[in-house]
Amino acid sequence: MIRFFAFFIGLLALLFGLELTPWAQDWFVVPWTTALARVSTWLVALADGGVVATGKVIRSTTNGFAVSIEAGCNGVEATIVLLAAMIAFPAPWKHKLLGLLAGIVAVQGLNVVRVISLFYLGQWNREVFEWAHLYVWQALIMLDVLIVWLIWVRTLPRVEGTRDPPPPSSPTPAIA
Amino acid sequence: MAVPLIRPRGLSPLARFVLSVLAFLPVTFAIWYFAASLILWPPALLSEWIARGGFGDIVRAVDQNGATLAFTTALKPGQTVAGGVITVDVNMLLYAFGLPLFAALTVAAREPHRARVLALGYAVLVPAIAWGIVADFLKNIAITAPIQVVTQTGFSAWQREAIAFAFQFGSLILPAVAPAVVWVLTHRAFLERIRRAPAA
Repeated sequence: MIRFFAFFIGLLALLFGLELTPWAQDWFVVPWTTALARVSTWLVALADGGVVATGKVIRSTTNGFAVSIEAGCNGVEATIVLLAAMIAFPAPWKHKLLGLLAGIVAVQGLNVVRVISLFYLGQWNREVFEWAHLYVWQALIMLDVLIVWLIWVRTLPRVEGTRDPPPPSSPTPAIA
Repeated sequence: MAVPLIRPRGLSPLARFVLSVLAFLPVTFAIWYFAASLILWPPALLSEWIARGGFGDIVRAVDQNGATLAFTTALKPGQTVAGGVITVDVNMLLYAFGLPLFAALTVAAREPHRARVLALGYAVLVPAIAWGIVADFLKNIAITAPIQVVTQTGFSAWQREAIAFAFQFGSLILPAVAPAVVWVLTHRAFLERIRRAPAA
């Protein structure tokens, strides 16, 4: 477990550092965020025609309200956390790749819900928007990452002879 | 002869756990918000200690006002302005939203010694919160402030790069990841039970 966490934190710092480089921003983060804005706008437009996307900005054509999808709200960091957690955890590569594919869909799917909900919350009440934006959705996205990782760990094949944590009958919690 | 597994009806343990977390989150968020002055006092103290210890020539005073930590600096707003100093207000809640998440996860897991685990998790998360607060303050005076203020800080180019990275890491990664990591580390037996439990 300690080796997993050391690997996870090292990989997380490395991937996050890479994400901040101008190259990664130009070739990955900006196009990704633009695509997220377009997908969110397309989904919103199914029920509400008065919405347009310009780059990473989603704007209401009826009242002029707009949200700009910035770092922390584009799901890239959440994806990096999931990526690091799955790569660092001991598992066959086939399971890692499948887990990553499904996990990225799950995390980004909820992130689209976050963007759309914030777009409408902002038009309804700015205070609620700030609360949801700055605190609640941040926690929910991380919870999503944690749940996806837990589900993925459950699906992994068990290898006999591996050193597992204490058995479930242990009455005391294992505190590292 | 193989004995068929008898599986409990209803939700899996993982699904029950997730629903419990979602049920506890509004409660823990409410407590966190309304008790912010008290809950954020230790991170505020630690931030003050770090700021005064590491940047004593810049920081004159640090005052907590609810969930806001105000840094009064020795920096002048500009050469043409007589008197006055730069103050930076940091919203500590921005770096502490992991506390209600950790609390909801811990309470929902229903493991023994929850109070002890909550206290341990809080103690571990306080430095992570302080990281974000101090990095936010430094980012304000070393990067986003007007150039005449930035030059007074005396930070070199690489130090400003380090501050930028520390701020990004402390605002985008640490507040969310730290509670999850601490929770996993303090609930290994619970996680193993979840892993071994049959799906519903």
